[in-house]
Amino acid sequence: MAAMFSQNPLMNGPNYSFNDAPRTAAPEGARQHRFDPYTDNGGSTLAIAGADFTIMAGDTRLTSGYSINSRYHPKLFKIGGTTADQKDATIVLSVVGFAADGEALKERLDAICKMYRYRHGKPMSVKACAQRLSTILYQKRFFPYYVYAILGGLDEEGKGAVYSYDPVGSYEREQCRAGGAAASLIMPFLDNQVNFKNQYEPGSGVGHALQERERKPLTRSEGEVLVKDAFDGAVERHIEVGDGLQMMVITKDGIEEVLLPLKKD
Amino acid sequence: MDHRPQAWGRPRDDVYGAYDHSYLQNSGPKQATQAPIVTGTSVIAMKYKDGVVMAADNLASYGSLARFPDVKRLRVFLDSSVVGFSGDVSDMQFLDRHLTDLSIDEAYEDPSCTAAPNGKGHLNAANLHKYLQKLLYKRRNDFDPLWNQLLIAGFDGHSKPYLASVDLRGTSFTSPSLATGFGSALAQPIMRRYAETEEDAAKLTREQAVEVIKECMKVLYYRDARSLDRYSIAVVTKDGVELKEDEQLEKQSWAFAERIKGYGTQTV
Amino acid sequence: MFMARSEYDRGINTFSPEGRLFQVEYSLEAIKLGSTAIGVATSEGVILGVEKRVTSTLLETSSVEKIVEIDRHIGTAMSGLQADARSMIEHARVECQSHAFNYNEKLRVESCTQAICDLALRFGESADGEESIMSRPFGVALLIAGYDEDGPSLYHAEPSGTFYRYDAKAIGSGSEGAQAELQNEYHKSLTLEDAETLVLKTLKQVMEEKLDAKNVQLASVTKDKGFRIYTDEEMAAVVARLPAN
Repeated sequence: MAAMFSQNPLMNGPNYSFNDAPRTAAPEGARQHRFDPYTDNGGSTLAIAGADFTIMAGDTRLTSGYSINSRYHPKLFKIGGTTADQKDATIVLSVVGFAADGEALKERLDAICKMYRYRHGKPMSVKACAQRLSTILYQKRFFPYYVYAILGGLDEEGKGAVYSYDPVGSYEREQCRAGGAAASLIMPFLDNQVNFKNQYEPGSGVGHALQERERKPLTRSEGEVLVKDAFDGAVERHIEVGDGLQMMVITKDGIEEVLLPLKKD
Repeated sequence: MDHRPQAWGRPRDDVYGAYDHSYLQNSGPKQATQAPIVTGTSVIAMKYKDGVVMAADNLASYGSLARFPDVKRLRVFLDSSVVGFSGDVSDMQFLDRHLTDLSIDEAYEDPSCTAAPNGKGHLNAANLHKYLQKLLYKRRNDFDPLWNQLLIAGFDGHSKPYLASVDLRGTSFTSPSLATGFGSALAQPIMRRYAETEEDAAKLTREQAVEVIKECMKVLYYRDARSLDRYSIAVVTKDGVELKEDEQLEKQSWAFAERIKGYGTQTV
Repeated sequence: MFMARSEYDRGINTFSPEGRLFQVEYSLEAIKLGSTAIGVATSEGVILGVEKRVTSTLLETSSVEKIVEIDRHIGTAMSGLQADARSMIEHARVECQSHAFNYNEKLRVESCTQAICDLALRFGESADGEESIMSRPFGVALLIAGYDEDGPSLYHAEPSGTFYRYDAKAIGSGSEGAQAELQNEYHKSLTLEDAETLVLKTLKQVMEEKLDAKNVQLASVTKDKGFRIYTDEEMAAVVARLPAN
């Protein structure tokens, strides 16, 4: 549990998410086996908000230690639709971390969205859903859902909206966010490619004269290519990422879902 | 004679000293399963064209002791699904009783379900898997886990072969082939050679699937020290479950053992 | 008739053979004893108005609170047993705050009204699992005015737990006369100022005392300012605007 929030690079860096480091020596004699209610099932997620769309993505590998449990275990879920297949949903939740908690969180948020629609006679906005997700997570502050959640949709003005969370409910609306095992590999790439961090106008000068490259909103196809590249990179360098890439694009016309292959090694 | 019935059948205080009643108190912290005691090893299963094949050996170990060599670890549910248990055997028996209660309740609700295995409106394997996932997840939330990993085989609501797993933390997943314990390292690579994808699995015949599973059971017996050569194998089809509970591993060859070198004190 | 009625008066949740719940019906009578309250909805916002019965010259009129805030965008005017309204308003306020906490948005006026009405039938013996909180039905009716994403709206909530949305509604002792007046005078293109005048004019007609700036109270709910109770100066200004007769 402690490792969950620690900034220890061994645990949070580009490394195996399970504890393969030697445990600190137990006190002599007494040794008790205790139930650890958490595991990390690996995998990574990613979301990018555009001008009038949001792309959510996640790989479909489910791991436990060095084993691949499943090559197709979705991390993206449509939330708050009125039918079993969620075809009229407008919000997508991605969860990565401990898969059982992710599943439980998704089902709870979905049930709450459905109740909200009955009670208030309108679908939930992403803003409302984002706040509710935060309170759900915080309510389990002392036995957290071990999940890094990202919520995506379109805001009241039709702009792409991405909200990202930590396991206990701190949240923030952002332009883009990577979560999970390969977050530390993907996030810098996104900073550079989406927000043009560390990119400057060539020949604009040195020191204070150096001009940052002008930021302009990503097109949808640029975003999709970026997502694929980000995951191809993560698959190459992280053993817990791979198998399949599930991608959902939210626009005013609904949610389009694509499944692309990733390396299975 | 002591005329107080509460004293009958107890060791006499004048002979053995007063009984320490603190042993009988059940105040204090609640006891939950802290560790598995008597355990079953791997369960393996894979889908094929018309159903699912599952197998597990008949051994219940007490640590490294092969304690109970005739424990059946595959269990049929409502003639249409199979649950395979690995992990703690007492928790398996608890789940077994629980599933019996559940199937009796189901039979009361809809008497036709025992007659027609795949009739609409009775719990199919997908329903059963969801139920067991919720049960195991609840128990983990209560810090009183059922120390098992289960495989559930049968059919889903669209009458397609269904195979899924759930473990003591409530983590659940599906795959064309699944294995618990040692099987995930030893059997799963073999099964994936034949059923890497759902499409591959949908091409396999029953004979092929059974053959692969038997091969895997053999490999597991060779390499898993907590395994046995007597095992159960179940085939789930639309017509029901065929369960054989006393199979013997055939065509074993230990010739490979001679070539193994390099462990422990062995140097040549 | 009297005998038959008294038999079914006792059980608070017992239907009479004609299918009536007498205690609930009597609670509606309690409201008819209350002071008059009026609400008028316009496209700009909603106006609430109440009469304050000044029973003594020694009474501090500002202590008569018949219009209260539920949230920044919802207010309510009451008629009937004011003490009963306290728990309903408390519940509505909690509901509004909880919604804002959980969803980062304002509670809709209809949802707020529904939340209040959910309380209304929780009297008598408790049902399985649910805690009963009252021994009898509420003796108060509310006019709930608010402004949400669908614009301004006015609701009337009764002790029976039913609620309806109105363009203009009067409750309390003078409600019959007042409602008839509203029926004649209301039209969709009323401005907020027209509504202020209409509310006071109607109150004036049904009040026993002579209307002045002290024995009536107004409040408005608008998009920009939310719920506001009128200050003494504003009250005086509106009263001065009334045609004298």
